[in-house]
Amino acid sequence: MTVIAVTLPLSLAYAGLTALALAMKRHHEAAIGAKPPATRLRAFRVAGWVLMALMVASCLRLWPTGLALSMALGLVTLAGLPLVFLLPYRPRLMVRLAPVLPVLALIATAV
Amino acid sequence: MKAGLRQSMAWLHTWSGLLLGWLLLAMFVTGTSAYFREEISLWMAPELHHSQPSPDTPALAWAALNAKAPDAKSWDIQLPEARSPVAQLRWQPDTPQAEEGGRRRGEQAVMDAGTGELLSPRASRGGDFLYRFHFELYGVPRIWARWLICVATMFMLVAIVSGVITHKKIFKDFFTFRPGKGQRSWLDSHNATAVLALPFHFMITYSGLLIFMVMLMPWGMNAAYEDGWRGFFQDVFPREEPAAEGGAAMPMVDIAPLVARARETFDQPVRRISVDWPNRDNAVIRVSTAKDPHITDQRRGGNPTLVFNGGTGELLETRPGDEAVPGAFRVYNLLVNLHLARFADPTVRWLFFLFGVGGTAMVATGMLLWVSKRTQQLRGKAPGAALRLVNGLNIASLTGLLGALAAYFAANRLLPVELAARESWEIRVFFLTWLLALGHALLRPGRRGWIEQLAAITVLWAALPLLNVATTDSHLFSATAWRTGALAGFDVVCLLMAATGGYALWRVVRKQPVRGRGPLPQRRTVEDGA
Repeated sequence: MTVIAVTLPLSLAYAGLTALALAMKRHHEAAIGAKPPATRLRAFRVAGWVLMALMVASCLRLWPTGLALSMALGLVTLAGLPLVFLLPYRPRLMVRLAPVLPVLALIATAV
Repeated sequence: MKAGLRQSMAWLHTWSGLLLGWLLLAMFVTGTSAYFREEISLWMAPELHHSQPSPDTPALAWAALNAKAPDAKSWDIQLPEARSPVAQLRWQPDTPQAEEGGRRRGEQAVMDAGTGELLSPRASRGGDFLYRFHFELYGVPRIWARWLICVATMFMLVAIVSGVITHKKIFKDFFTFRPGKGQRSWLDSHNATAVLALPFHFMITYSGLLIFMVMLMPWGMNAAYEDGWRGFFQDVFPREEPAAEGGAAMPMVDIAPLVARARETFDQPVRRISVDWPNRDNAVIRVSTAKDPHITDQRRGGNPTLVFNGGTGELLETRPGDEAVPGAFRVYNLLVNLHLARFADPTVRWLFFLFGVGGTAMVATGMLLWVSKRTQQLRGKAPGAALRLVNGLNIASLTGLLGALAAYFAANRLLPVELAARESWEIRVFFLTWLLALGHALLRPGRRGWIEQLAAITVLWAALPLLNVATTDSHLFSATAWRTGALAGFDVVCLLMAATGGYALWRVVRKQPVRGRGPLPQRRTVEDGA
């Protein structure tokens, strides 16, 4: 198992958590600035859970089931910590990283 | 009613957390480092760094044991693997004295896997000291220490549950961190590290108790077996007894073909060779290979094994390994394996290390929050003796312990190799440094204490890779260290520790005790909260 293989579920967890954070009114206003309509918040929530499901699926591809589910929980932790600290200090960067990181991870995994 | 529950839980969380927090912090730090127990042990034995595995290693080990202990009662060869580049040789002499000492007390040697030369590493407890400290402390009767650790672990479970109940907005504040607000910020970071990593905290605590379940809840076994846990273990982990007597002398076959056969049969590298009654006519050779690690595996054994007649090389038995275990046992194995990261490849091991660091941060932020909150309540008055004591103990248990750890590693490089009881001196250096840090922290339990100790640990950790350059030839700028990734990794972690210490130092120094922002109480928080 190389380090690179883990970047995909990790970045998906980060993107998923970011979407879930943006589905909350307070964080949405802080990070994007606009007052969000309820439909947009719901869209972020759905996107967040879809990304989380993808994250679990990519873990299941990497590891046997028991370990995969354990690691999925752990990777959420690992992705969440930088998110929590980026949110107050660099909210824009936090949002921008969300689509960029999974793409980079996909490229790195494919190479 | 609901407020009543939350308040009582807050009280429970605060005080159980404070009382056992210092011990938990030490358990988290040593436990986290124990994920790299073998790597630390290797780092602390520079004499072994040049060993390189080769296809001839089994034959070399065979020759070494034939020369060293040809008529022992048993041999055990642990071949090199990713985490250890040397071959470990163990043998049980066939003498009445060895018999008295119990079956585990044999003799052992470390062999260079490339040359077959027997190595003599400096005396050191290495990573084992930290691993043992994690669940038995040091210098305390083992059973007392284990009970104390278990009590602390139970308090941790209590703190987890009461913490979740106390947390007012666990989902709403899931991502919330408000920096630069004294107590509020410590609360947020305590919440973030605790809630985000809640699955890990719960797993590590509960599985920690499971590991000691036989000690904590022996009644079921005592009711079912007349001889209690002994009978239980004999049933669960049946032990293979070797023939009681060695036969007539008879030379054994070459080991290389047997190793090749085991590798072909199971398509896995050979890890271990054990022999009962070597060089006798009833010699039995077992050649075990690696297996694909599985998270519900048993803790020991279960590797695919070929059993041979030692004199003729005839195959006696093929064991595919890993019998199916019942469901409850698999759940137990799952939790225990997660706790010990037994199945882990390097990437997963690093992830577990990071989770451990997160757990340490969770405990540490909780302790700092306790001080921060009470300092804030003083509204600028001088802190009393109790608060100063807690703050001092916080400094000693956080920066003091990290400093002691660095000193332990430095002692490994600086103490003379021929020093008597050298391994004890390394441990003494560890505790003396910690004691020194405690004295210092109790004398200066405040901002200055933090600043001075943070500066000290920054210097100590940064010095370790340099010390390595000066005293060994397997330092960061050598090919040896990078060939065995663990050695370079160790030095890099040292540098990261120094960087973290330096960053914390910079943050504390930069935050002036008096700054014109926010109401008065917050300024005082900054002064002591650090």
